[in-house]
Amino acid sequence: MKDSAAPLVATERDLIALAQQGDRASFSELVRRHREGVVNVVYRMCGDASLAEDAAQEAFIRAWQHLPTYRPRSPFRNWVYRIATNGALDALRREKKTVDIDTLPLVHPGAGPEAAAEGNERAERVRRAVLALPPASRVVLVLREYEGLSYREIADSLEIPVGTVMSRLNYARTRLREALAPYVEGQ
Amino acid sequence: MTEHVTAWLEAYHDGELQGRRSRQVEAHLADCAACRAELEKLRVLAALLQEPPPAGGLTPPERFVAQVGLRLPRRPDRPAWQRALKVGWQLTPLGLLGAWAFAQSAFAAAGVLLAALQLGLGGDLAAGLLPASQSGSLLGELSGLSSAGLNDLGSMALRTLGHGGPLGWGVTLSLAIPAVIGLLYWSWLATWWVRQRRRPKVN
Repeated sequence: MKDSAAPLVATERDLIALAQQGDRASFSELVRRHREGVVNVVYRMCGDASLAEDAAQEAFIRAWQHLPTYRPRSPFRNWVYRIATNGALDALRREKKTVDIDTLPLVHPGAGPEAAAEGNERAERVRRAVLALPPASRVVLVLREYEGLSYREIADSLEIPVGTVMSRLNYARTRLREALAPYVEGQ
Repeated sequence: MTEHVTAWLEAYHDGELQGRRSRQVEAHLADCAACRAELEKLRVLAALLQEPPPAGGLTPPERFVAQVGLRLPRRPDRPAWQRALKVGWQLTPLGLLGAWAFAQSAFAAAGVLLAALQLGLGGDLAAGLLPASQSGSLLGELSGLSSAGLNDLGSMALRTLGHGGPLGWGVTLSLAIPAVIGLLYWSWLATWWVRQRRRPKVN
């Protein structure tokens, strides 16, 4: 298997082509470029940082295995997100983790009680409200709000119609506005 | 005031509206406080959602990349038919060269055989194989044999055999086969060149 030195300045297309031929260094560069986005997406989906990292690594490994079948019709980022979100959804379904949000750890458990009360309370409520959404709506919200994908890109990533993207997004936002009414309405 | 644009507010907020529809929503927002308030709530919600992930607890990027690299399995080899196709593609020029050499040899051998028959070296066999009308004309062509190459010899032999078309089948074949082989070779070469150009360059 090839293992060339990773090109320092290479287009994503070049990296993908080399990685498809088995070049691990090029794939590592792709991982480096998309790590933050993938971890973030999975974290927002499952609400646990360490779980998110494991799931993100799994997503990249699955991407490596299926890379020969990838065709650059859609951006690589969307393709990896699809793998990551599908993996996260599968994990949530497997574990029947319809989000028992009270059992989830705090975002910053090490923070002092004062900081937790002031700084983290709002963030924590937001996080729990997101995690309380049904996974199908949550994934659309995450891709839109956290990764800035367009409706079309979300539809391509999740292989659903654009109309479904819009309705799920509307549902998620409506639920969040209800759950976070003191913050949203009080502005 | 125009009708409320609630149904389009989210798409507008997400930057998904364009052209006339976008201008329509903007015009309405300029006049409608209720819709402006709705849009503001969408913006507040979007801002609320942007709380950062717990960066402190995450694995550093380089370590993450290394961990993924260590866990990458060996990718399964290509299926046998794909490998065979690749080898076949790489051997195509050799195959074409072989086909060309074979065709030229066949033409040359036919030429030599026919010339020998017409010179009477084949005995009674010549009378059975060659039409009588061709014997005389062929002798004239054979006189230039010493300076003719194998190709010319082959062409001449095929002209001798020729019966169809304006030039005869023999001539047509002697031109068509190398032409087809040449065309295939140049097509292969062009495809190879394009693929080389598209191949990503490292460094």
